[in-house]
Amino acid sequence: MIGVSRKSRTFFLTIVSCAYLFLYMPIVVLIFYSFNQGGFPDVWRGFSLHWYQDLLESVDIWRAFLNSVIVALTSSVLNIIMAVFFVHGSRKYKGDWSAIFYSNVIISDIVLAVGLLILFSAIAVPLGLTTIIAGHTLLGFGFTIPVIRGRYDELDDSLIEASLDLGASTQYTFLNVVVPFLYPAILSAFLLAIIVSFDDFLISFFCAGASVQTLSLYIFSMIRSGISPVVNALSTILLVMSLLMIFGMLMIQKNILRK
Amino acid sequence: MKDFFNKEKYFFFMTPALVWQVGFFFLPLIFVIQLGFFNQFFHEFTFDYFKQVFRLTHFVVIFRSLKLASITATLSLLLGYPVAYFLALYVDRRYKSILLFLITLPFLTNLLVQIYAWYFILEKKGILNKFLSLFFSDLGNWLNTSFAMYIVMFHIYLPFMIMPLYSNLEKVNLKLIESSLDLGASYSQTLFRIVFPLSKEGIRTGFFLVYVTTFGEYVIPSLIGGQKHFYVGTLISEYFFIGRDWHVGAAFTCLSSAIFLVSICMLNYLLQKLIVSLQRI
Repeated sequence: MIGVSRKSRTFFLTIVSCAYLFLYMPIVVLIFYSFNQGGFPDVWRGFSLHWYQDLLESVDIWRAFLNSVIVALTSSVLNIIMAVFFVHGSRKYKGDWSAIFYSNVIISDIVLAVGLLILFSAIAVPLGLTTIIAGHTLLGFGFTIPVIRGRYDELDDSLIEASLDLGASTQYTFLNVVVPFLYPAILSAFLLAIIVSFDDFLISFFCAGASVQTLSLYIFSMIRSGISPVVNALSTILLVMSLLMIFGMLMIQKNILRK
Repeated sequence: MKDFFNKEKYFFFMTPALVWQVGFFFLPLIFVIQLGFFNQFFHEFTFDYFKQVFRLTHFVVIFRSLKLASITATLSLLLGYPVAYFLALYVDRRYKSILLFLITLPFLTNLLVQIYAWYFILEKKGILNKFLSLFFSDLGNWLNTSFAMYIVMFHIYLPFMIMPLYSNLEKVNLKLIESSLDLGASYSQTLFRIVFPLSKEGIRTGFFLVYVTTFGEYVIPSLIGGQKHFYVGTLISEYFFIGRDWHVGAAFTCLSSAIFLVSICMLNYLLQKLIVSLQRI
């Protein structure tokens, strides 16, 4: 209601709804065709789940999916452990140390991907899942460390003091006071790291080598060879997955605010 | 308490992440520069590779990418600002979280899924042509044109603009806007003199987030834009995967990054000027 004159209100609302329409139109079309009986250029031939059945039976997709899951989980776990330790360690240092990691978000992915490829070939590491995991762990820092640090800043020092005064060891205090306090942030950062890893294309493209395929790489090669409604079915499932994860993240954040 | 945050003892907590960052971020960047300047690993310094890169064709490619990045960033700022304003200051609290959620979803959805979705609209028999055939006949394929590429870039990076703008505009005190209007300023005066300067940081963050990520874009130019024109991202990967000329590829990466950094400084200056000059309206 604020800052917009009554005359231009309709204009303003039209622009905003157009933006939403623009953002969602492709996704809606994509989902629509995943349930279509016929192939793509056809019109609606009736509801069918047979593309999903094809998807279930495709061995290649499941192999790529499994690779993506392995990469996402490993890199996120590694990332979160290092991120929590980093934030804990940097607590008493002056200045915002997490600023070092903003560069991971800001850098052009292609430069980083090229650099990693050169590095891995210079030290003769064979390309594969490990190299992708190394890259994705790095990529995630830019997202997870600020989230965890934001939560750690809210922790009252007196809680730690009380725990130490009452005779708890530093280790016990870290595990039973600090980590439980950080828990919601850790969980939401973990989900964010998984999403970042799942979405990444360029790092995987440069670091995967010839043998390994992640889901993004698989979809890329499928798109190159033409449209197939199986990819629509896969995309719909991926969309639902992101939806659930973001929903989870939002719920966690809401819980933080309520407390 | 002192013991808990003992600096000497707890510095090692920071080391894993720092080592990772140095090993997989700073070291690779040094390796890229090294590969552009040396024949052997840090041996036999040479300018040959940079001489090979210093050609008009390469500058045209870099310029094309700069154009793509700046147009995408400007367009998404123009559409993203009203949306962020709407979300942060206008919309009713009840609908806010769902509308915000709808922006976050494409922001965090797999890039390739979204690009793939555009095939159904831009294909020769796609939705766009089905709609246009009501008015025109003899329609071509939209795919593999630069128009299609700009549309898809705009679509993918719009949420990247809205998110930082939103989080910045959300902090704007509504009372400032109200008092500006109460004291007789017009709506446009309030917008240009109060809201824009207050959201300066958000505008800058959003603009450069989009600008930086679009500059090296590889997937969209190669899948949607056709192979007619090279962009920085596609040319670099060409050097590394098809030409297998890594030295020249690394030199080109360095050159384009250097020009890119200069362009960021220039645009930053221009953006600052623009916001200041809008205040005088």
